[in-house]
Amino acid sequence: MSEGKIAKLHGMLEAKEISCKELAQTYIDASERDNEKLNAYVTMTPEIALNTAEAVDKKIANGEKIGLLEGIPMTLKDNISTDGIKTTCCSKILEDYVPVYDATVWTILKKQNAVLIGKTNMDEFAMGSSCETSVFGGAKNPHNINCVAGGSSGGAASAVGGNIAVYGLGSDTGGSIRQPAGFCGIVGLKPTYGAVSRYGLIAYASSLDQIGPITSSVEDAAAVFDAISEYDEKDSTSQGRKGEPVCGTLKNDIKGMKIGIAHEYLDGVREDVKQSIEKAADVYKSLGAEIVYFDLPALKYALPVYYILACAEASSNLGRYDGIRYGYKAENYRDVNDMIKKTRSRGFGDEVKKRILLGTYVLSAGYYDAYYKKAQNLRGTIVNAFKNAFNICDVILAPTVPMTAFENGRAVSDPVETYLTDICTVPVNIAGLPGISLPCGYDSNGMPIGMQLIGNTFDEAKILNAAWQYENAANVFRPSDFGVKL
Amino acid sequence: MVSKEEIMKIAILSKLFVSEEEIDSLTEDMDKIIAFADTINNATDAGTDFDNINNLSDVLRDDVEVPSYDREKILANAKDSADGCFLVKNIMK
Repeated sequence: MSEGKIAKLHGMLEAKEISCKELAQTYIDASERDNEKLNAYVTMTPEIALNTAEAVDKKIANGEKIGLLEGIPMTLKDNISTDGIKTTCCSKILEDYVPVYDATVWTILKKQNAVLIGKTNMDEFAMGSSCETSVFGGAKNPHNINCVAGGSSGGAASAVGGNIAVYGLGSDTGGSIRQPAGFCGIVGLKPTYGAVSRYGLIAYASSLDQIGPITSSVEDAAAVFDAISEYDEKDSTSQGRKGEPVCGTLKNDIKGMKIGIAHEYLDGVREDVKQSIEKAADVYKSLGAEIVYFDLPALKYALPVYYILACAEASSNLGRYDGIRYGYKAENYRDVNDMIKKTRSRGFGDEVKKRILLGTYVLSAGYYDAYYKKAQNLRGTIVNAFKNAFNICDVILAPTVPMTAFENGRAVSDPVETYLTDICTVPVNIAGLPGISLPCGYDSNGMPIGMQLIGNTFDEAKILNAAWQYENAANVFRPSDFGVKL
Repeated sequence: MVSKEEIMKIAILSKLFVSEEEIDSLTEDMDKIIAFADTINNATDAGTDFDNINNLSDVLRDDVEVPSYDREKILANAKDSADGCFLVKNIMK
Protein backbone atom coordinates (compact mmCIF):
# COMPACT_ATOMS: atom_id res chain seq x y z
CA MET A 1 0.00 0.00 0.00
CA SER A 2 1.40 3.38 -1.02
CA GLU A 3 2.13 5.35 2.14
CA GLY A 4 3.23 8.85 2.84
CA LYS A 5 6.42 9.88 4.57
CA ILE A 6 4.60 12.42 6.76
CA ALA A 7 2.34 9.77 8.35
CA LYS A 8 5.33 7.48 8.86
CA LEU A 9 7.42 10.14 10.62
CA HIS A 10 4.39 11.29 12.60
CA GLY A 11 3.97 7.71 13.83
CA MET A 12 7.65 7.54 14.81
CA LEU A 13 7.36 10.80 16.78
CA GLU A 14 4.22 9.67 18.58
CA ALA A 15 5.76 6.27 19.40
CA LYS A 16 8.88 8.10 20.68
CA GLU A 17 11.09 6.09 18.31
CA ILE A 18 12.84 9.37 17.55
CA SER A 19 12.61 12.78 19.22
CA CYS A 20 11.54 15.75 17.16
CA LYS A 21 14.90 17.42 17.85
CA GLU A 22 16.77 14.35 16.61
CA LEU A 23 14.60 14.30 13.50
CA ALA A 24 15.20 18.01 12.83
CA GLN A 25 18.96 17.63 13.44
CA THR A 26 19.10 14.66 11.04
CA TYR A 27 17.54 16.76 8.27
CA ILE A 28 19.68 19.81 9.10
CA ASP A 29 22.88 17.71 8.95
CA ALA A 30 21.87 16.08 5.67
CA SER A 31 20.88 19.48 4.25
CA GLU A 32 24.18 21.09 5.21
CA ARG A 33 26.07 18.16 3.68
CA ASP A 34 24.08 17.71 0.44
CA ASN A 35 23.22 21.32 -0.31
CA GLU A 36 26.77 21.83 -1.57
CA LYS A 37 25.88 19.56 -4.48
CA LEU A 38 22.16 20.25 -4.85
CA ASN A 39 22.08 24.03 -4.26
CA ALA A 40 18.48 23.56 -3.13
CA TYR A 41 18.55 26.04 -0.23
CA VAL A 42 19.42 29.71 -0.44
CA THR A 43 18.88 30.37 3.28
CA MET A 44 19.00 27.76 6.04
CA THR A 45 17.15 28.21 9.33
CA PRO A 46 18.53 25.55 11.73
CA GLU A 47 17.90 27.63 14.85
CA ILE A 48 14.22 28.12 14.04
CA ALA A 49 13.92 24.42 13.17
CA LEU A 50 15.47 23.27 16.47
CA ASN A 51 13.43 25.70 18.60
CA THR A 52 10.21 24.44 17.01
CA ALA A 53 11.34 20.85 17.42
CA GLU A 54 11.97 21.44 21.14
CA ALA A 55 8.44 22.80 21.58
CA VAL A 56 7.04 19.68 19.89
CA ASP A 57 9.16 17.41 22.10
CA LYS A 58 7.75 19.17 25.17
CA LYS A 59 4.20 18.51 23.98
CA ILE A 60 5.01 14.84 23.40
CA ALA A 61 6.68 14.58 26.83
CA ASN A 62 3.55 16.09 28.41
CA GLY A 63 1.43 13.45 26.76
CA GLU A 64 -0.30 15.96 24.46
CA LYS A 65 -1.56 14.87 21.04
CA ILE A 66 0.39 16.30 18.11
CA GLY A 67 -1.01 17.14 14.68
CA LEU A 68 0.02 15.32 11.51
CA LEU A 69 2.37 18.09 10.32
CA GLU A 70 3.81 18.92 13.74
CA GLY A 71 7.55 18.45 13.88
CA ILE A 72 7.88 17.49 10.21
CA PRO A 73 10.93 19.08 8.48
CA MET A 74 9.89 21.25 5.53
CA THR A 75 10.87 24.17 3.29
CA LEU A 76 9.40 27.32 1.79
CA LYS A 77 10.20 28.71 -1.66
CA ASP A 78 12.06 31.99 -1.38
CA ASN A 79 9.13 34.02 -2.74
CA ILE A 80 6.94 33.14 0.28
CA SER A 81 7.21 35.92 2.86
CA THR A 82 8.62 34.97 6.26
CA ASP A 83 8.64 37.55 9.06
CA GLY A 84 12.26 38.15 10.10
CA ILE A 85 13.72 35.68 7.57
CA LYS A 86 15.31 36.93 4.35
CA THR A 87 13.05 36.47 1.30
CA THR A 88 14.93 37.25 -1.89
CA CYS A 89 12.96 35.78 -4.83
CA CYS A 90 16.53 34.78 -5.81
CA SER A 91 17.01 38.27 -7.24
CA LYS A 92 19.73 40.86 -6.63
CA ILE A 93 16.98 43.46 -6.26
CA LEU A 94 15.72 41.73 -3.07
CA GLU A 95 19.14 40.48 -1.91
CA ASP A 96 18.72 41.75 1.67
CA TYR A 97 14.94 42.06 1.97
CA VAL A 98 13.51 40.87 5.30
CA PRO A 99 9.68 40.78 5.35
CA VAL A 100 7.83 42.21 8.34
CA TYR A 101 4.95 39.75 8.04
CA ASP A 102 4.27 36.10 7.27
CA ALA A 103 2.51 34.72 4.22
CA THR A 104 -0.78 33.12 5.30
CA VAL A 105 0.45 29.62 4.35
CA TRP A 106 3.39 30.09 6.72
CA THR A 107 1.12 31.47 9.47
CA ILE A 108 -0.98 28.30 9.17
CA LEU A 109 1.99 25.91 9.16
CA LYS A 110 3.82 27.77 11.93
CA LYS A 111 0.77 27.30 14.18
CA GLN A 112 1.05 23.59 13.44
CA ASN A 113 4.71 23.60 14.50
CA ALA A 114 6.11 22.87 11.04
CA VAL A 115 9.90 22.61 11.26
CA LEU A 116 11.35 25.08 8.74
CA ILE A 117 14.74 23.84 7.49
CA GLY A 118 15.20 26.71 5.03
CA LYS A 119 14.11 28.79 2.08
CA THR A 120 14.54 27.19 -1.31
CA ASN A 121 16.12 28.23 -4.59
CA MET A 122 14.03 29.35 -7.55
CA ASP A 123 14.24 31.09 -10.89
CA GLU A 124 14.45 34.85 -10.31
CA PHE A 125 10.90 36.04 -9.51
CA ALA A 126 9.73 32.54 -10.58
CA MET A 127 10.53 33.40 -14.21
CA GLY A 128 12.13 30.36 -15.77
CA SER A 129 11.85 26.62 -16.29
CA SER A 130 15.25 25.43 -15.11
CA CYS A 131 15.96 27.38 -11.87
CA GLU A 132 19.02 28.77 -13.66
CA THR A 133 17.85 32.40 -13.70
CA SER A 134 18.38 32.39 -9.89
CA VAL A 135 21.03 34.89 -8.80
CA PHE A 136 22.41 32.03 -6.63
CA GLY A 137 22.82 29.63 -9.60
CA GLY A 138 20.41 26.78 -10.34
CA ALA A 139 19.37 23.92 -8.07
CA LYS A 140 20.55 20.53 -9.28
CA ASN A 141 18.57 17.40 -10.05
CA PRO A 142 19.02 14.76 -7.30
CA HIS A 143 18.86 11.97 -9.92
CA ASN A 144 21.84 13.47 -11.78
CA ILE A 145 23.42 16.70 -10.61
CA ASN A 146 24.59 17.46 -14.16
CA CYS A 147 20.94 18.06 -15.01
CA VAL A 148 18.59 20.85 -13.96
CA ALA A 149 16.02 20.38 -11.21
CA GLY A 150 13.48 22.29 -13.32
CA GLY A 151 11.76 25.49 -12.43
CA SER A 152 10.82 27.70 -11.15
CA SER A 153 10.44 25.86 -7.79
CA GLY A 154 13.65 23.92 -8.55
CA GLY A 155 15.07 24.24 -5.04
CA ALA A 156 11.96 22.76 -3.41
CA ALA A 157 11.93 19.84 -5.86
CA SER A 158 15.66 19.28 -5.41
CA ALA A 159 15.31 19.32 -1.59
CA VAL A 160 12.34 16.92 -1.52
CA GLY A 161 13.71 14.69 -4.31
CA GLY A 162 17.10 14.78 -2.58
CA ASN A 163 15.37 13.89 0.70
CA ILE A 164 16.79 16.80 2.67
CA ALA A 165 13.24 17.97 3.44
CA VAL A 166 10.02 15.99 3.80
CA TYR A 167 7.93 18.50 1.89
CA GLY A 168 8.18 21.99 0.46
CA LEU A 169 5.80 24.71 -0.54
CA GLY A 170 6.31 26.06 -4.04
CA SER A 171 4.37 28.39 -6.31
CA ASP A 172 3.02 27.62 -9.77
CA THR A 173 2.29 30.34 -12.35
CA GLY A 174 2.74 28.27 -15.52
CA GLY A 175 4.00 24.92 -14.19
CA SER A 176 6.53 25.95 -11.57
CA ILE A 177 5.44 23.27 -9.07
CA ARG A 178 4.54 20.46 -11.49
CA GLN A 179 7.47 20.77 -13.93
CA PRO A 180 10.30 20.51 -11.35
CA ALA A 181 8.37 17.77 -9.53
CA GLY A 182 8.19 15.93 -12.87
CA PHE A 183 11.92 16.44 -13.54
CA CYS A 184 12.90 15.27 -10.03
CA GLY A 185 10.60 12.22 -9.89
CA ILE A 186 8.32 13.44 -7.10
CA VAL A 187 4.81 14.82 -6.59
CA GLY A 188 3.72 18.44 -7.12
CA LEU A 189 0.20 19.78 -6.66
CA LYS A 190 -0.98 23.05 -8.16
CA PRO A 191 -4.34 23.72 -6.45
CA THR A 192 -7.35 25.46 -8.00
CA TYR A 193 -6.87 29.24 -8.25
CA GLY A 194 -8.21 30.58 -4.95
CA ALA A 195 -7.99 27.31 -2.98
CA VAL A 196 -4.81 28.41 -1.17
CA SER A 197 -4.20 31.97 -0.01
CA ARG A 198 -1.67 34.00 -2.00
CA TYR A 199 -1.26 36.58 0.76
CA GLY A 200 2.47 37.04 1.25
CA LEU A 201 3.44 35.31 -1.98
CA ILE A 202 5.59 37.82 -3.86
CA ALA A 203 3.62 38.31 -7.05
CA TYR A 204 4.72 37.33 -10.54
CA ALA A 205 1.36 37.12 -12.39
CA SER A 206 -1.48 37.52 -9.92
CA SER A 207 -4.26 35.90 -11.97
CA LEU A 208 -2.14 32.77 -12.51
CA ASP A 209 0.01 32.37 -9.33
CA GLN A 210 -0.92 29.66 -6.84
CA ILE A 211 0.92 28.12 -3.87
CA GLY A 212 0.99 24.32 -3.49
CA PRO A 213 2.93 21.39 -2.01
CA ILE A 214 5.89 19.47 -3.40
CA THR A 215 6.17 16.04 -1.74
CA SER A 216 7.52 12.55 -2.31
CA SER A 217 4.09 10.89 -2.29
CA VAL A 218 0.46 11.63 -3.17
CA GLU A 219 -0.63 11.04 0.43
CA ASP A 220 1.78 13.73 1.63
CA ALA A 221 0.51 16.17 -1.02
CA ALA A 222 -3.05 15.55 0.19
CA ALA A 223 -2.06 16.10 3.84
CA VAL A 224 -0.32 19.41 3.11
CA PHE A 225 -3.12 20.59 0.81
CA ASP A 226 -5.71 19.88 3.51
CA ALA A 227 -3.67 21.94 5.96
CA ILE A 228 -3.13 25.02 3.80
CA SER A 229 -6.42 25.29 1.84
CA GLU A 230 -8.18 27.71 4.19
CA TYR A 231 -10.24 30.75 3.25
CA ASP A 232 -8.22 33.91 3.93
CA GLU A 233 -9.78 37.36 4.17
CA LYS A 234 -6.39 38.90 3.35
CA ASP A 235 -6.52 37.52 -0.21
CA SER A 236 -9.49 38.90 -2.16
CA THR A 237 -9.37 35.90 -4.54
CA SER A 238 -9.34 33.35 -1.71
CA GLN A 239 -12.09 30.74 -1.56
CA GLY A 240 -10.45 27.95 0.42
CA ARG A 241 -11.05 24.25 -0.09
CA LYS A 242 -14.56 23.32 -1.20
CA GLY A 243 -15.72 20.20 0.56
CA GLU A 244 -14.28 17.79 3.07
CA PRO A 245 -10.54 17.20 3.60
CA VAL A 246 -9.20 15.33 0.58
CA CYS A 247 -7.38 12.75 2.75
CA GLY A 248 -10.71 11.06 3.48
CA THR A 249 -11.35 10.06 -0.14
CA LEU A 250 -7.77 9.48 -1.24
CA LYS A 251 -7.96 5.69 -1.40
CA ASN A 252 -11.47 5.38 -2.86
CA ASP A 253 -12.12 2.93 -5.65
CA ILE A 254 -11.90 4.53 -9.12
CA LYS A 255 -13.94 1.92 -11.02
CA GLY A 256 -15.94 3.74 -13.69
CA MET A 257 -13.94 6.97 -13.39
CA LYS A 258 -13.58 8.56 -16.83
CA ILE A 259 -9.99 9.55 -17.58
CA GLY A 260 -9.66 11.78 -20.62
CA ILE A 261 -6.66 12.07 -22.93
CA ALA A 262 -6.64 15.09 -25.24
CA HIS A 263 -4.74 14.34 -28.47
CA GLU A 264 -3.19 17.82 -28.44
CA TYR A 265 -1.36 17.11 -25.18
CA LEU A 266 0.61 14.34 -26.92
CA ASP A 267 1.60 16.38 -30.01
CA GLY A 268 5.34 16.99 -30.15
CA VAL A 269 5.97 15.02 -26.96
CA ARG A 270 9.09 12.82 -26.93
CA GLU A 271 8.33 9.19 -27.77
CA ASP A 272 9.40 7.68 -24.42
CA VAL A 273 7.28 10.24 -22.54
CA LYS A 274 4.28 9.44 -24.76
CA GLN A 275 4.75 5.71 -24.14
CA SER A 276 4.81 6.27 -20.38
CA ILE A 277 1.49 8.14 -20.58
CA GLU A 278 -0.01 5.29 -22.62
CA LYS A 279 1.26 2.79 -20.03
CA ALA A 280 -0.33 4.90 -17.28
CA ALA A 281 -3.61 4.74 -19.21
CA ASP A 282 -3.28 0.92 -19.21
CA VAL A 283 -2.80 0.96 -15.42
CA TYR A 284 -6.00 3.00 -15.12
CA LYS A 285 -7.85 0.51 -17.34
CA SER A 286 -6.68 -2.33 -15.08
CA LEU A 287 -8.10 -0.38 -12.11
CA GLY A 288 -11.50 -0.25 -13.79
CA ALA A 289 -11.35 3.32 -15.08
CA GLU A 290 -12.51 4.19 -18.58
CA ILE A 291 -10.13 5.98 -20.98
CA VAL A 292 -11.78 8.58 -23.21
CA TYR A 293 -9.85 10.21 -26.10
CA PHE A 294 -10.97 13.67 -27.24
CA ASP A 295 -9.82 16.84 -29.00
CA LEU A 296 -8.97 20.09 -27.22
CA PRO A 297 -8.00 22.39 -30.14
CA ALA A 298 -7.97 25.53 -27.94
CA LEU A 299 -4.74 24.22 -26.38
CA LYS A 300 -2.73 25.48 -29.36
CA TYR A 301 -3.23 29.08 -28.15
CA ALA A 302 -2.29 28.33 -24.56
CA LEU A 303 1.44 29.05 -24.64
CA PRO A 304 1.41 32.46 -26.41
CA VAL A 305 -1.67 33.46 -24.35
CA TYR A 306 0.21 32.51 -21.19
CA TYR A 307 3.34 34.49 -22.05
CA ILE A 308 1.35 37.59 -23.06
CA LEU A 309 -0.81 37.60 -19.92
CA ALA A 310 1.91 36.53 -17.47
CA CYS A 311 4.37 39.14 -18.75
CA ALA A 312 1.70 41.87 -18.82
CA GLU A 313 0.86 41.18 -15.18
CA ALA A 314 4.55 40.90 -14.28
CA SER A 315 5.38 44.27 -15.83
CA SER A 316 2.77 45.81 -13.53
CA ASN A 317 3.62 43.75 -10.41
CA LEU A 318 7.34 44.41 -10.71
CA GLY A 319 6.80 48.15 -11.05
CA ARG A 320 7.09 48.36 -7.25
CA TYR A 321 10.84 47.67 -7.21
CA ASP A 322 12.27 51.17 -7.14
CA GLY A 323 15.05 50.97 -4.52
CA ILE A 324 13.25 53.36 -2.19
CA ARG A 325 11.46 51.18 0.34
CA TYR A 326 13.36 47.88 0.33
CA GLY A 327 15.96 45.86 -1.49
CA TYR A 328 18.91 46.86 -3.63
CA LYS A 329 19.45 50.56 -4.37
CA ALA A 330 21.85 51.81 -7.05
CA GLU A 331 24.54 54.32 -6.15
CA ASN A 332 25.75 57.37 -8.10
CA TYR A 333 22.60 58.80 -9.63
CA ARG A 334 21.44 62.25 -10.71
CA ASP A 335 17.84 62.30 -9.52
CA VAL A 336 15.05 59.98 -8.34
CA ASN A 337 14.13 58.83 -11.82
CA ASP A 338 17.75 58.03 -12.64
CA MET A 339 18.06 56.15 -9.33
CA ILE A 340 14.96 54.04 -10.06
CA LYS A 341 16.14 53.19 -13.57
CA LYS A 342 19.66 52.30 -12.41
CA THR A 343 18.30 50.23 -9.51
CA ARG A 344 16.00 48.23 -11.79
CA SER A 345 18.56 47.82 -14.58
CA ARG A 346 21.25 46.53 -12.21
CA GLY A 347 18.92 44.71 -9.80
CA PHE A 348 16.91 42.60 -12.24
CA GLY A 349 18.43 39.75 -14.24
CA ASP A 350 18.13 39.41 -18.03
CA GLU A 351 15.08 37.09 -18.09
CA VAL A 352 13.12 39.33 -15.73
CA LYS A 353 13.97 42.42 -17.79
CA LYS A 354 12.90 40.63 -20.98
CA ARG A 355 9.53 39.72 -19.46
CA ILE A 356 8.96 43.25 -18.14
CA LEU A 357 9.72 44.60 -21.62
CA LEU A 358 7.36 42.12 -23.31
CA GLY A 359 4.64 42.90 -20.76
CA THR A 360 5.03 46.64 -21.27
CA TYR A 361 4.98 46.12 -25.05
CA VAL A 362 1.70 44.14 -25.09
CA LEU A 363 0.04 46.69 -22.79
CA SER A 364 1.25 49.80 -24.63
CA ALA A 365 -0.94 51.99 -26.83
CA GLY A 366 -1.32 50.51 -30.29
CA TYR A 367 -0.58 46.94 -29.21
CA TYR A 368 -3.06 46.43 -26.37
CA ASP A 369 -5.93 45.18 -28.58
CA ALA A 370 -3.75 42.96 -30.77
CA TYR A 371 -2.02 41.23 -27.87
CA TYR A 372 -3.42 41.71 -24.36
CA LYS A 373 -7.12 41.99 -25.27
CA LYS A 374 -6.89 39.17 -27.81
CA ALA A 375 -5.06 36.95 -25.31
CA GLN A 376 -7.71 37.65 -22.64
CA ASN A 377 -10.46 36.63 -25.07
CA LEU A 378 -8.60 33.44 -25.99
CA ARG A 379 -8.24 32.77 -22.26
CA GLY A 380 -12.05 32.73 -22.20
CA THR A 381 -12.01 30.20 -25.07
CA ILE A 382 -9.58 27.95 -23.18
CA VAL A 383 -11.66 28.16 -19.97
CA ASN A 384 -14.77 27.11 -21.91
CA ALA A 385 -12.92 24.30 -23.71
CA PHE A 386 -11.93 22.77 -20.37
CA LYS A 387 -15.49 23.19 -19.04
CA ASN A 388 -16.75 21.18 -22.02
CA ALA A 389 -14.00 18.58 -21.55
CA PHE A 390 -15.15 17.94 -17.99
CA ASN A 391 -18.61 17.11 -19.35
CA ILE A 392 -17.09 14.03 -20.98
CA CYS A 393 -14.44 13.01 -18.44
CA ASP A 394 -13.70 13.29 -14.70
CA VAL A 395 -9.98 13.99 -14.93
CA ILE A 396 -7.53 14.61 -17.78
CA LEU A 397 -4.29 12.61 -18.09
CA ALA A 398 -1.37 14.37 -19.81
CA PRO A 399 2.42 14.53 -19.73
CA THR A 400 3.86 17.10 -17.30
CA VAL A 401 6.72 18.07 -19.60
CA PRO A 402 7.31 16.91 -23.21
CA MET A 403 10.81 15.68 -22.22
CA THR A 404 12.92 14.81 -19.18
CA ALA A 405 15.39 17.03 -17.28
CA PHE A 406 18.03 18.52 -19.57
CA GLU A 407 21.68 19.29 -18.82
CA ASN A 408 22.65 22.39 -16.87
CA GLY A 409 23.20 25.45 -19.06
CA ARG A 410 21.09 24.35 -22.01
CA ALA A 411 18.02 26.46 -21.23
CA VAL A 412 19.51 29.83 -21.94
CA SER A 413 20.28 29.61 -25.68
CA ASP A 414 16.91 30.18 -27.39
CA PRO A 415 14.17 31.98 -25.40
CA VAL A 416 11.20 30.57 -27.35
CA GLU A 417 12.57 27.01 -27.29
CA THR A 418 12.85 27.28 -23.51
CA TYR A 419 9.27 28.53 -23.22
CA LEU A 420 8.08 25.42 -25.12
CA THR A 421 8.97 23.22 -22.13
CA ASP A 422 5.92 24.77 -20.40
CA ILE A 423 3.48 23.71 -23.11
CA CYS A 424 1.74 20.96 -21.08
CA THR A 425 1.56 22.87 -17.80
CA VAL A 426 0.36 26.42 -18.68
CA PRO A 427 -3.23 25.52 -19.73
CA VAL A 428 -4.06 24.60 -16.11
CA ASN A 429 -3.05 28.07 -14.87
CA ILE A 430 -4.89 29.84 -17.67
CA ALA A 431 -8.10 28.02 -16.72
CA GLY A 432 -7.47 28.19 -12.93
CA LEU A 433 -7.72 24.40 -12.59
CA PRO A 434 -6.01 22.01 -10.17
CA GLY A 435 -3.25 19.80 -11.57
CA ILE A 436 -0.90 17.26 -10.04
CA SER A 437 2.34 15.82 -11.39
CA LEU A 438 3.61 12.43 -10.28
CA PRO A 439 6.31 10.07 -11.54
CA CYS A 440 5.23 7.53 -14.19
CA GLY A 441 8.55 6.14 -15.47
CA TYR A 442 12.21 6.82 -16.29
CA ASP A 443 14.05 7.48 -19.54
CA SER A 444 17.03 5.44 -20.78
CA ASN A 445 19.37 7.62 -18.67
CA GLY A 446 17.39 7.00 -15.52
CA MET A 447 15.83 10.47 -15.46
CA PRO A 448 12.22 10.63 -14.19
CA ILE A 449 9.21 11.09 -16.47
CA GLY A 450 6.22 12.94 -15.00
CA MET A 451 2.53 12.58 -15.71
CA GLN A 452 -0.12 15.13 -14.95
CA LEU A 453 -3.72 14.73 -13.80
CA ILE A 454 -5.94 17.76 -14.31
CA GLY A 455 -9.31 18.27 -12.63
CA ASN A 456 -12.23 20.65 -12.84
CA THR A 457 -12.17 23.65 -10.46
CA PHE A 458 -12.05 22.57 -6.80
CA ASP A 459 -11.83 18.89 -7.80
CA GLU A 460 -8.57 18.34 -5.89
CA ALA A 461 -10.12 15.31 -4.16
CA LYS A 462 -10.74 13.62 -7.52
CA ILE A 463 -7.25 14.16 -8.98
CA LEU A 464 -5.55 13.15 -5.73
CA ASN A 465 -7.70 10.02 -5.57
CA ALA A 466 -6.78 9.11 -9.17
CA ALA A 467 -3.12 9.94 -8.48
CA TRP A 468 -2.99 7.80 -5.32
CA GLN A 469 -4.57 4.83 -7.11
CA TYR A 470 -1.98 5.06 -9.90
CA GLU A 471 0.93 5.48 -7.46
CA ASN A 472 -0.24 2.49 -5.45
CA ALA A 473 -0.77 0.23 -8.48
CA ALA A 474 2.25 1.24 -10.59
CA ASN A 475 4.80 1.69 -7.78
CA VAL A 476 7.34 3.54 -9.93
CA PHE A 477 8.88 5.90 -7.33
CA ARG A 478 12.67 5.61 -7.03
CA PRO A 479 14.43 7.52 -4.24
CA SER A 480 17.59 9.43 -5.16
CA ASP A 481 20.94 8.66 -3.51
CA PHE A 482 20.92 11.87 -1.48
CA GLY A 483 19.64 12.84 1.91
CA VAL A 484 18.11 11.21 4.94
CA LYS A 485 17.50 7.47 5.00
CA LEU A 486 14.84 6.78 7.61
CA MET B 1 9.83 42.96 -36.96
CA VAL B 2 10.45 44.92 -33.80
CA SER B 3 13.00 47.72 -34.15
CA LYS B 4 15.76 48.89 -31.82
CA GLU B 5 13.91 52.20 -31.48
CA GLU B 6 10.75 50.42 -30.30
CA ILE B 7 12.74 48.48 -27.70
CA MET B 8 14.31 51.72 -26.47
CA LYS B 9 10.86 53.33 -26.18
CA ILE B 10 9.46 50.32 -24.26
CA ALA B 11 12.53 50.40 -22.00
CA ILE B 12 11.77 54.01 -21.05
CA LEU B 13 8.17 53.05 -20.19
CA SER B 14 9.52 50.11 -18.12
CA LYS B 15 12.03 52.35 -16.30
CA LEU B 16 14.95 50.27 -17.54
CA PHE B 17 18.21 51.29 -19.18
CA VAL B 18 19.31 49.30 -22.22
CA SER B 19 22.99 49.72 -22.98
CA GLU B 20 24.57 49.89 -26.45
CA GLU B 21 26.14 46.47 -25.85
CA GLU B 22 22.79 44.89 -24.93
CA ILE B 23 20.52 46.38 -27.57
CA ASP B 24 21.35 44.08 -30.53
CA SER B 25 20.94 40.76 -28.74
CA LEU B 26 17.94 42.04 -26.79
CA THR B 27 16.21 43.21 -29.99
CA GLU B 28 16.89 39.80 -31.56
CA ASP B 29 15.43 37.95 -28.55
CA MET B 30 12.44 40.29 -28.27
CA ASP B 31 11.77 39.89 -31.99
CA LYS B 32 11.60 36.10 -31.58
CA ILE B 33 9.37 36.37 -28.49
CA ILE B 34 7.00 38.91 -30.09
CA ALA B 35 6.77 36.81 -33.28
CA PHE B 36 5.83 33.88 -31.04
CA ALA B 37 3.23 35.98 -29.16
CA ASP B 38 1.89 37.15 -32.52
CA THR B 39 0.77 33.58 -33.37
CA ILE B 40 -2.44 34.27 -31.41
CA ASN B 41 -3.42 36.64 -34.19
CA ASN B 42 -3.64 33.64 -36.55
CA ALA B 43 -6.46 32.29 -34.39
CA THR B 44 -9.72 32.10 -36.30
CA ASP B 45 -11.53 31.96 -32.96
CA ALA B 46 -12.49 35.50 -31.91
CA GLY B 47 -12.49 34.34 -28.31
CA THR B 48 -14.91 34.84 -25.48
CA ASP B 49 -15.15 37.79 -23.15
CA PHE B 50 -13.07 36.98 -20.12
CA ASP B 51 -13.56 38.89 -16.92
CA ASN B 52 -11.84 36.85 -14.23
CA ILE B 53 -11.14 33.32 -13.17
CA ASN B 54 -13.72 31.21 -11.28
CA ASN B 55 -16.38 33.99 -11.27
CA LEU B 56 -14.72 35.93 -8.48
CA SER B 57 -16.02 39.30 -7.47
CA ASP B 58 -14.28 42.10 -5.62
CA VAL B 59 -14.20 41.70 -1.87
CA LEU B 60 -14.15 44.87 0.20
CA ARG B 61 -13.57 44.91 3.91
CA ASP B 62 -15.35 47.26 6.29
CA ASP B 63 -13.65 50.63 6.48
CA VAL B 64 -12.46 50.14 10.04
CA GLU B 65 -9.06 51.08 11.36
CA VAL B 66 -6.95 48.03 12.21
CA PRO B 67 -3.44 47.80 13.65
CA SER B 68 -0.72 47.98 11.00
CA TYR B 69 2.95 47.01 10.96
CA ASP B 70 5.65 48.60 13.03
CA ARG B 71 7.07 51.68 11.26
CA GLU B 72 10.63 51.06 12.49
CA LYS B 73 10.57 47.48 11.21
CA ILE B 74 9.32 48.60 7.81
CA LEU B 75 11.89 51.39 7.55
CA ALA B 76 14.67 48.95 8.47
CA ASN B 77 14.41 47.60 4.90
CA ALA B 78 14.98 51.01 3.31
CA LYS B 79 18.51 52.04 2.40
CA ASP B 80 17.78 55.64 3.42
CA SER B 81 15.23 56.96 5.88
CA ALA B 82 14.82 60.02 8.08
CA ASP B 83 12.24 61.20 10.64
CA GLY B 84 10.21 58.02 10.23
CA CYS B 85 9.94 58.42 6.45
CA PHE B 86 11.59 57.01 3.33
CA LEU B 87 14.26 59.35 2.07
CA VAL B 88 14.73 60.25 -1.61
CA LYS B 89 16.47 63.06 -3.44
CA ASN B 90 14.43 66.23 -4.01
CA ILE B 91 11.67 65.69 -6.53
CA MET B 92 10.53 69.35 -6.71
CA LYS B 93 13.04 72.08 -7.43
